Amino acid sequence: MSIATAIPATIPAAVTGHPPVDPSALRDKVAIRNLEFFYGQSKALKGITLPLYENKVTAFIGPSGCGKSTLLRVLNRMYDLYPNQHAEGQVQFDGINIVEPGLDLNLLRARIGMVFQKPTPFPMSIYENIAFGIRLYEKLSKRDLDQRVEQSLRRAALWDEVKDKLNANGLSLSGGQQQRLCIARTVAVRPEVILFDEPCSALDPISTAKIEELIFELKEDYTIVIVTHNMQQAARVSDYTAFMYLGELVEFGPTDKIFTSPTDRRTQDYITGRFG
Amino acid sequence: MVDVTWGGARVSAQDATERAKALNKLRLGDVIFHAVTRSAALLVLLLLGGVMVALFLGSLPALTTFGFDFVTTQSWNPVTEKFGALAPIYGTLITSFIAMLIAVPFGLLIAMFLTELCPMWLRRPIGIAIELLAGIPSIIYGIWGLFVLAPFLQQYVQPALIATFGNVPLLSSLFAGPPYGIGVLTASLILAIMVLPFVTSISRDVFDAVPPVLKEAAYGLGCSTWEVMRYVVLPYTRVGVIGGVMLGLGRALGETMAVTFVIGNAHKISSSLLAPGTTISATIANEFTEAVGDLYTSSLIALGLILFVITFIVLAIARYMLLRIEKRVG
Repeated sequence: MSIATAIPATIPAAVTGHPPVDPSALRDKVAIRNLEFFYGQSKALKGITLPLYENKVTAFIGPSGCGKSTLLRVLNRMYDLYPNQHAEGQVQFDGINIVEPGLDLNLLRARIGMVFQKPTPFPMSIYENIAFGIRLYEKLSKRDLDQRVEQSLRRAALWDEVKDKLNANGLSLSGGQQQRLCIARTVAVRPEVILFDEPCSALDPISTAKIEELIFELKEDYTIVIVTHNMQQAARVSDYTAFMYLGELVEFGPTDKIFTSPTDRRTQDYITGRFG
Repeated sequence: MVDVTWGGARVSAQDATERAKALNKLRLGDVIFHAVTRSAALLVLLLLGGVMVALFLGSLPALTTFGFDFVTTQSWNPVTEKFGALAPIYGTLITSFIAMLIAVPFGLLIAMFLTELCPMWLRRPIGIAIELLAGIPSIIYGIWGLFVLAPFLQQYVQPALIATFGNVPLLSSLFAGPPYGIGVLTASLILAIMVLPFVTSISRDVFDAVPPVLKEAAYGLGCSTWEVMRYVVLPYTRVGVIGGVMLGLGRALGETMAVTFVIGNAHKISSSLLAPGTTISATIANEFTEAVGDLYTSSLIALGLILFVITFIVLAIARYMLLRIEKRVG
């Protein structure tokens, strides 16, 4: 099955050639076109074409090794840290092609934030964990900085739990709190897109529920992409779902459609648990 | 003996005694093993204690003769048998201090380059070069320092230093006097080169041990490589880095041969870094063979005791600093 037929008609004309159903509701924040990715010689992504809509949550699902994390790491050029990895094609983000060389990577990463699989608080206090990222790009007065830190922690639903111990080490928090600290840290920099790489895989169910709730709230202000192994999670939090298999995008569409009436056989097999 | 139930089946009394016998044999082996490991560990304590006692007893004549003056006066006169250890103590501390001042930043920078910025093909050659640098015997550093580095410094570097800082207050006294080539500064430079591999390789190893995801998270916020290293990697690895620095300092304090070659062996304290001086270990190495008279020998042993104490204090301070850092972070 070709990708074009798998993509539902709600996608803007720019991507599919079909007229959009409701053009005011959806805007491409990021448009991926014919993206290929290579680890050395081996091709990990094959001709991915996919929009990421503004203020929506897009989930990447698929079995291990299908390339969903790789795709996520292309979006903020994280692969640049490692030799022998490169991408070809187009990832349009506000009129720039992300994968082109010569881009200011630090700026890109400030605009496209990322939350990782394992909580990664920096070895500093809770307050500093948040303030650190802000200071990289903005000179704020102590008062404004305090305010922004509080705002960010509130945004991540962590403020009430840490407001009395802002000077404690970030590592002293529980796993779920650490992950919310990382989200607060990402939010504090005011990115436009937030990438979540299996953000709940190391967390207990209660923390997971909190993070999912948070993602739901965050999409008001941000464009969100989440990679997850957990199909219930994808169904719960995402508006759009992309199913990937062996480096290809098999099917993309509104989440309820992907989960209730997928057009591709492989998608159906995967979401019903026949493989993966 | 009563029969024992074993996994539902009855085991005869005879079987049980056999089993007990076999177990007893094993237990005997265990007791021996325990005793051997314990005595090996205790031997270390015994050796350390023995060294301390020997040093103390050996230095007793000097310490009782000169008392506290031994560490506060700097006259060292074998003829009149008047000995004060201030000059070598000062020399040991100042050369090590300058060596660390040079080696620590350089070592950290090299380690950062190796772990974060260096292209793959260059990593191995530089890494091997650093390990080889650590493996060069100190006598070779001494020879090289005396025949290559000292003349070079004398001809080019020291005149330039004197000319540059001659009119700057404070610094002018640090870089005063004729350029001998050998002296405190030369010894410090040699020490810095010798300490550099320790600081570099330990820092590199601890930098390498930082979880990649932590670095990615910092990069993901938009940090530059410098910011990642400065604010995330260094704080994360500070314990290991301080350990490496202390190991290097330990080597610098005790280094004998290379320093003896280039420091000039003068028992006096000069404000100028270009002037010759001496260190504790250099003094002992130079003078032990010609030490006649009990007081002379005893004074040299007392020097050894002082070096021992200095090293101990350095280690204690390092421990204390680590403890404080842990507490502040924790």
